[in-house]
Amino acid sequence: MTRWLRHLSLGTLVALASCDTAPAGVAGTLRLPIINDPIFNPVIAPDLGSVMVNKVIFSALVRPDTALQPTPDLATSWEVAPDGLTWTFHLRPGVRWHDGAPFTSRDVKFTFDQILDLASGTRLRSDFAAVDGVDIVDSLTVRFRLGAPFAPLLTLLGYNAGILPEHLLRGQRLSDATTFNRTTPIGTGPFRLAQVTPGATVVLERNPHWYGAPPGLDRLIFKVVPDINAQVAQLRAGELDLITIEPANLGSVQHQDGITIRQVPVVQHWYVGFNTMSHLFSAPAVRRAMAFAVNREAIVAGVLKGYADLPTGTIPVALREYHDSTLHPIPFAPDSAQALLAQAGWHRDADGKLRNAAGRDFAFDLLVDKGNPTREQAALAVQQDLERIGMTVRLRTMEFAALVRDRVLPGNYEAILIWWTTPPDPDQYAFYASDQDNNHVRWRNRTADSLLLAGRRTSDPTARREIYRAFQRVERDDPPVLVLFYPREIQAATTRLRGLPALGIRDALRHSEVLSLGPGS
Amino acid sequence: MVSVTTFAIMHLAPGGPSVLADPKLSEAERAAIIDRLGLDAPLPVQFTRWITRAAQGDLGTSFLYAAPTARTIADRIPNTLVLAGAALLLACALGVPAGIVAGAAPGGTLDRWAMRVSVAGIAVPVFWLGIMLILLFAVRLPWFPAGGITADVDGGGLMDRVRHLILPASTLALATTSELFRYARATVRDGRDATWWRVARARGVPRRRLVWRHAARHALVTLCSVLSVQLPRLVGGAAITETVFSWPGMGRLGVEAALARDYPLVMGVTLVVSLAVVLAGVLTDLGQLAADPRLRRA
Repeated sequence: MTRWLRHLSLGTLVALASCDTAPAGVAGTLRLPIINDPIFNPVIAPDLGSVMVNKVIFSALVRPDTALQPTPDLATSWEVAPDGLTWTFHLRPGVRWHDGAPFTSRDVKFTFDQILDLASGTRLRSDFAAVDGVDIVDSLTVRFRLGAPFAPLLTLLGYNAGILPEHLLRGQRLSDATTFNRTTPIGTGPFRLAQVTPGATVVLERNPHWYGAPPGLDRLIFKVVPDINAQVAQLRAGELDLITIEPANLGSVQHQDGITIRQVPVVQHWYVGFNTMSHLFSAPAVRRAMAFAVNREAIVAGVLKGYADLPTGTIPVALREYHDSTLHPIPFAPDSAQALLAQAGWHRDADGKLRNAAGRDFAFDLLVDKGNPTREQAALAVQQDLERIGMTVRLRTMEFAALVRDRVLPGNYEAILIWWTTPPDPDQYAFYASDQDNNHVRWRNRTADSLLLAGRRTSDPTARREIYRAFQRVERDDPPVLVLFYPREIQAATTRLRGLPALGIRDALRHSEVLSLGPGS
Repeated sequence: MVSVTTFAIMHLAPGGPSVLADPKLSEAERAAIIDRLGLDAPLPVQFTRWITRAAQGDLGTSFLYAAPTARTIADRIPNTLVLAGAALLLACALGVPAGIVAGAAPGGTLDRWAMRVSVAGIAVPVFWLGIMLILLFAVRLPWFPAGGITADVDGGGLMDRVRHLILPASTLALATTSELFRYARATVRDGRDATWWRVARARGVPRRRLVWRHAARHALVTLCSVLSVQLPRLVGGAAITETVFSWPGMGRLGVEAALARDYPLVMGVTLVVSLAVVLAGVLTDLGQLAADPRLRRA
C-alpha cells in the first residue's frame, strides 16, 4: 500500500513537472497586476486597477506626453476663445469603436453629460465643475461651455476622462450598465477586451483598427493579484512583467536575474496635515517651526531607501514646468524651529517639554492609516523628530476608510499623515484655497487664494509658471501642510520590457501602444 | 440571526464603504453616492429592504464590483469548491491513514515523526507556508505556477488546472490534514484500550484487519464530526490561501468585501457560508449513519 502510494505520487509529480509551461512564453504578451476586478467604465470606476485598465481600453480627447503636457488623442486640435469660456475641439476622423461603430461628437457630448450628472454615479464631476455643458457643432467638432475660465481643463481631459460609446449606453444609468461595465466594454483604445475571468484575469488584445501606430504587443493581460508579496513572487517566477513596489519590497527584487528596477517621479506629495482650526497649529510660525524640525533627508534615506525627492512645497518635481527648482528643500534645522516656537510663545520647561504662557503642553495626536509600512515608519520618524523639540506626539493608527470618514472629512483630528495624488497640473485650488471641499486642513491664506484662482483661470503657460512660483514662495512663509517628500514610483520589470515611458504607471498606460517585449538581457 | 448580526457589525464598525473613502470626492459627489446606495436610510430600514429583496433572490448590487451580488458570488463559488474539495481530499487521503497507522502503534517511530509534523502543520502560518511554497516550487524550481487558476489565455485544459491547483490545495490542506491525523490517531489509540479490541484480539482477528476494518470504521464516526467543522472553514476561511495564490474564490471575495465595507457583498458571502455550515451538518449526519450501523437502529 505504502509503496503503491509512493510510486503514484512520484509519478504524478514527474508528469506534472514535465508539463509545458507555455503561458510564460507567449510572445508579445505583457502581464501586469491589479488588486481586484476592474469596472470597465472610466466615468464611474473608483479604484486604481480600474483606472489602469480603462486607460488602455478607452481613449480620451487628449493624453499627457512624457513631460505630462497634453497632446492630441481623440481630438486633433483645439482652440480656446479669448475670454477662456469656450473650448472647441476638432475630433480625429475615421476613428471606430471596438465594435466597428463610428466615433463622433455625439459620444463626447454623451460622456460629459454623464460626467456632469450626479445621478449617473460619476466620480469625475468635481474635476469638471467649471464645465456648464458640451455642444455638438458637427459630427467631428464639439464645444465646451465653461462658467469661468479653467486652465486645467486640457490636463483633466487626458487624465481619467475616457470617452464612452453613446450608441451602447444611451438610456441607461452608467452604474446599472452591468454587462458593459463587467464583461463587454467597448472603447476606442489601442487594445480591446478579449476575455475576462472574474477574479483572475483580464485579457486585452491588440485593436487592429486603432487609429495610431500599431501596438507593439499582441496582448496585455491584467492579472488580479491582491497581495504585494504574491506580486513579487509572480514577477520572480516570470508570471508578471511589471509591478510597482514599496521600498520595503526592494530586497526581494534587487539583483535578480531578468528583473530591472526603475524609478519615476509621480505627481504626489506626502505630508503631515495640521488642522489649522486647532489653537496649536493656527500660527504660521508654528507650522514653519515644525517643518524645520523634521529631518526629511533621514526619512527619505531610511524609510524611502532614497526613492523620493526632498520637498520645497506642495508642487512636486514631477510637474517640471511648474515646480520651482530655484527653491532649496526645506532644511533640517531644529535650532531655527526652537527660535520660531519661542516667538510664537512656546518655551521648553525643565523637563524639555514645550509649554505656553498658560502652562499648556504642546501635545497632539498624529493619525496615520494602518497597514502601509512606508507611512507607518514615516509617522514614527516624524513623531521622534517633533518630540526632540519638546512636543508630545501620540501616534494613532486607523483603518483608512475610518480615518477619512470619521476624522478627515468632519475635521475631527489634530494632525494626520496622508498624501495627495493629483492630476498632472499645478492647480491646487481644490486642496488649498479657503473653504474648498478638499481643503481638509482648513488652511486660509488670501494671497494664496488669489494666486490659485488666477492659476486656474490663466491659460498662458508662462503666466501660470510665474503664478505657481509665487504660490510656492507663499507656502514657504505660511506652510499649509508639512510636506515630507515627493515619492518616486518604484517599478520592478522584466528586462525584456521596452518602450515604457518614464512616467508613473497610470500615466504610462496612456501610451500602451509603444510597449513591447524584446529579448532578455 | 446570522444576517442580523453581520448587518449590525458591518454597519456599526468605524469607517464606511470604501467607495466613499476618497478624500477627493466633493460633498455633492459623496451625497449622490450615499443616496444611490441607500445609505442615508435608518439601519432598520436598510436591513428590512435587504431582507425583503434577499427573500426574493435579489442580494443587491455590490458597491465594489458594481454588479449583482448573487452573480459576483456565483462566479466565485465553483473556484472555492474546487480548491476546498481538493484540499479536503488531500487532507483525508494523507491525514486519516497516517492517523490510523500512528494510533495503532503509539510511541513508534512513525507515530513520533507524524506527531511532530502535525504539530508543525497546525502551527505554521498559512501565509508564510504559501509564500515559501511559491518561492520553492514556482520560483526556484519552476514546476508549478505561482498563482491563478489557469494559464492566462484560454486556459490549458485539465492538466493546466491541476497544476494551478496543487500548491494552493496543499497549503490549504496542511492544517486540516494535521487535525484529521490527530483525531484519527486519538480515536484508534483509544480503541486499543476498548473491550472490543481485546476480545477481537483474543478471538484471533489479524491485527491488520483489526486496524483497517474495525478501528478505522470506529474512527470514521468521529472524523465525520471533525469534517463538519472543517468544511465551512474550507469554504469560507480559505481567504489567506486564496489571496497568496491569487485564487478567485469566495474566501478572498469575503475579505475584499469586508475591507471595502461592501455591505451587500458581505451579507451575501455570509449567507452562502451559513448555508455551507447547514449543509455540512446534514452531510455529517448522513456520513455518520453510513459509518455506524448502530446509529441507523437508534
